[in-house]
Amino acid sequence: MSNRPARSSSIPIPGNPRIPRIEDVLVLPPILAHSPNPRSRTAGFPRSHINNSPERAFPSSSPRTISTAPPRAISGSYSLVASRPTPGLPTNQSQPVFEPRIIRATPSPSRASDPACFPASTSPTASRTRRPSATRHASGAHSAVAATGVRPSALSAQIQSGAPPQPQAFPRPAYLDQSALRDLLITEPPVSATAPRHSEQPSRISITSPPHPAPHVLSGFLTSHPYIRQSSPSVDDYSDREDTTSPPPPSIAAPPVVPMTAFMSQPVFRLPTKWNEMDRHPSLQVSPDGRDLTFCGPPCAGDKEAAAARANYPVPPCCGIYYYEVEILQKGNKGHISIGYSAGDVRTTRLPGWERHSWGYHADDGWSFPGHKDGNPYGPTFDTGDIIGCGVDFSQHRAFYTKNGNFLGALTRMVFDNVGKGHEIYPAIGLRHTNEAIRVNFGHAPYKFAIEDHVLSQRNSVWGKIQATKIDWELLRGGSSRSSEVEENTGSTGATAGTASVVEDNETNAEDKSPMRELVLSYLAHHGYVKTVKAFQAQCEGRATAREDGMETDEAPFASSSSTMYASAQSSQTGRGFEEMNQDLDLIRRVEIVNAVTEGDIDTAITQTQIYFPDVFKHEEGLVLFKLKCRKFVELILEASEALKRVKAEEKQNQGQAQSQRGRRDTGKERYVATEVPGDALDGSGAMDVDDPSPEARTPVSEPATLSSASSSTTYPEVVADPDPTIPSNNNILITRTSSSSSSTSSTNTATVSASTIAKNALQSALTYGQILEADYKSDIRPEVKSHLKRTFGVVAFSDPLAAGGEVAEMAGQEARMRLATELNQAILESLGKPRYPALEMAYRQASACIVQLGLLSYGPAAFADMSKEFLDG
Amino acid sequence: MPPKTQIRKDEWEKRLHDVDLSKQDLNQLVMDYLVIEGFKTSAEEFSKEAGLNAPVDLESIESRMTIREALQRGDVGEAITRVNDLNPEILDTNRGLYFQLQQQKLIEFIRQGRIAEALEFAQEELAPRGEENPEYLAELEKTMALLAFESSPSAPAAITDLLSPAQRMKTASAVNAAILESLSQGKEAKLVGLLKLLSWGESMLDERAHFPKVRLISLLPLFAHRVN
Repeated sequence: MSNRPARSSSIPIPGNPRIPRIEDVLVLPPILAHSPNPRSRTAGFPRSHINNSPERAFPSSSPRTISTAPPRAISGSYSLVASRPTPGLPTNQSQPVFEPRIIRATPSPSRASDPACFPASTSPTASRTRRPSATRHASGAHSAVAATGVRPSALSAQIQSGAPPQPQAFPRPAYLDQSALRDLLITEPPVSATAPRHSEQPSRISITSPPHPAPHVLSGFLTSHPYIRQSSPSVDDYSDREDTTSPPPPSIAAPPVVPMTAFMSQPVFRLPTKWNEMDRHPSLQVSPDGRDLTFCGPPCAGDKEAAAARANYPVPPCCGIYYYEVEILQKGNKGHISIGYSAGDVRTTRLPGWERHSWGYHADDGWSFPGHKDGNPYGPTFDTGDIIGCGVDFSQHRAFYTKNGNFLGALTRMVFDNVGKGHEIYPAIGLRHTNEAIRVNFGHAPYKFAIEDHVLSQRNSVWGKIQATKIDWELLRGGSSRSSEVEENTGSTGATAGTASVVEDNETNAEDKSPMRELVLSYLAHHGYVKTVKAFQAQCEGRATAREDGMETDEAPFASSSSTMYASAQSSQTGRGFEEMNQDLDLIRRVEIVNAVTEGDIDTAITQTQIYFPDVFKHEEGLVLFKLKCRKFVELILEASEALKRVKAEEKQNQGQAQSQRGRRDTGKERYVATEVPGDALDGSGAMDVDDPSPEARTPVSEPATLSSASSSTTYPEVVADPDPTIPSNNNILITRTSSSSSSTSSTNTATVSASTIAKNALQSALTYGQILEADYKSDIRPEVKSHLKRTFGVVAFSDPLAAGGEVAEMAGQEARMRLATELNQAILESLGKPRYPALEMAYRQASACIVQLGLLSYGPAAFADMSKEFLDG
Repeated sequence: MPPKTQIRKDEWEKRLHDVDLSKQDLNQLVMDYLVIEGFKTSAEEFSKEAGLNAPVDLESIESRMTIREALQRGDVGEAITRVNDLNPEILDTNRGLYFQLQQQKLIEFIRQGRIAEALEFAQEELAPRGEENPEYLAELEKTMALLAFESSPSAPAAITDLLSPAQRMKTASAVNAAILESLSQGKEAKLVGLLKLLSWGESMLDERAHFPKVRLISLLPLFAHRVN
């Protein structure tokens, strides 16, 4: 069973020769005692090691020890287990300083220990230096994990001071960043140190350990994972890799974050992170860190018997390409090692590749086996110390292998067919003879092979094929797909498949230009970029004219697609119909209304909407009007808040100065009056950047509006003059509006009123408005109304809502105006029978949703359609 | 193939809604379109109205368009001069493109029946390049064959095509792409790529699932504002 000495040749790990062999002292628990269901891993599974360590500079593969001894630093716990280089056992030559420490939770019945207490005698730095003596303590991963759960605070403090991180959790390997669905792919989230873990595994929290490093302390322990010692090579193995591999280790600055919030409606896919203790042949031992497999049983008899293990999760096809590497720790005498994939229902008594739905590459003869006993010569044999990479490309459902960083065969050479088509596949390993051992790298460490480059090139190849698709306007019209040809082209063909036949010569395909321009034009109109709309139309028509004049251009006449869909757009050549005139006016008015909201002039927005788009306020029982009124209230509160600020400022100044300031503030009041002159407004109005919060740009515009209204506190008496809550809302609006238009005349009077009176009146005015608002809507039981009303009134509680931060500022700030303006814009568009989103935006959203759905349906090429990289970056 | 997945409308709409996309993103896409397609004044207006910086000097759009137009009407000499005005490195570093322009010039001589000039130009300018590169030589031979087949209906298509508008377009397109590349711009508007992807994605998904289609085109005429 023990193959230690042999293994150490390939895994230079210092060890302490005086340590008795674990097998001799351990009581082995029933290996499969855990769970009847091998796939039912839960968060509480004890081998999910903690990874709240901020760094991986000094990786360790063993579970963190929490000793319950008198105070010791965690570095002290290293000393429990740190091994000294021993003659005869190679050490890590390249980095002697980074001597691995094997950390063991050490059950020692004789001593109680306290994980929260570590001696301060050793610093984190010291923990990295060689220890004069080392003791290997055996303990279960369970204990360590559970103990961590018990005392999270103690641990986290220690971890940050430079303790070696747990090896188990690692971020998503960098090559998977190439997948368009990368955000759905997660490695196991770090096990947070939580109480539930404790309660889940109460029987395993029996940690005791000697208070001091003691060379001979050994304890028996009762866990189902007694193979601690196999984790020791990993430490050195890792640091060794850091020297020899070219790509830098993936950054582990932070534990992997599970983007749960972004994908509440979408599943996330777990990536394989270790061998599944529950899904293996009994003869295989899995190391505590889950990476090593060692054949420990009696050699398999006959030709057919073997011992296989699968990883803890299947490979998500939306990876696009998945890849892992295996280091042959010990080839054994015969080297009957198979590396590959297998479906979850393939027996673990066969080598991967022998059974249907499994694929394997065998060490002894270098043959590949595609799911039956008849293999084919494929690659070289492999031996102890070799690193074999094993990838699957879901865009082709084929596999590829690497050896010691080299692709086997030409870069496009793939092996097997239909890998993982129609069922989930797991990374799988098969061994047959005693002492055979491997160590897997699912992304725990940098890969030998430059997998990122390979993925990038495959990705570009698939993307090129996708982009060879012709734009299918029929399909986009909602018609049926003519996709079969496309499927052939982009689906399962190899990287070198010709695409010339469908490559679209964009320059000669004039037909496609017209709808494209319509898309752009409708987008510009949707957002009210009036001047751009005009310029764009003029340019398009100019080009069309040039074509009619016989010039050789690539221009189709603008909006002259054969489709009748564009009929409405064409009449413009001769003259503009009544319908179009109205559309123009609609656009202009819409822009004005939306701009009024973004500037805080709610009265204008309400009045204009009422006049020109009355249907908007009928929709959804006037929800939009309600929100506008709430905003009006917030604006009043903001005015009051501004006025109050001025009071405070003016207290420091003399009265004369204050009055002159007020006089100046009153300018700019007329800005919202002339809103019904479409011709002028067309030239003067800017676009409505409604959902583009750029406070820098907007604030200078909006602030004066607020100020001017604030000083026009003479509106207050008029509003309160008719505070009858039963009057229809329209009356409220009109009253307010009338008063604001009269404010320019009355402002000269208010200039003489003291600032504090203004502030008082502003507040009174706001509160009165609020009372009416409350009365108007108190009978509205819609939850949305209720909560919005509540949040609106929450603003009152703050003297300066904009500075309050959090939800209050969110309700009050410029972004809230933007949101409201967007909502109003969409409501107006809907009332005109137009879609809420511009077609262009729908195109993007639809494409993105298609890609995600294709990924969820395990369609590999979707992983290489990375929209944000292709369309949004740069 | 397994039975198609059924995707509910509300589920799909939630997906659509959840797509991470800002108006700023879309504005950039539109700007990219205006620049690449050469709508200079539109790009200028859009830059102001949307508060975006154009990704390139907008003047370069104009000269790019001028060059394209020159090639489309057959004025190769003008095009070459302007390309060199814009950036001399474009032709210096791209010998194939330079040859293509010279070939186009030869074609234009032949088209206009200026046979003596065509011969002289071919011998002085093109033949030496043909010696450098067999590909160029083949193209040169093909072009010279135009003289032999002049006004003959039996001429092979591969040869008469050289006189077609498509040949001018091809050259103009190649020059356009080279200029865009020199400005670090894609040669095709991203919006075009987006619609290609949408076409691909919808057709692929259509084989695997029932889902709400976008009916993109039907959204458009409603928006066909004509603003003067």
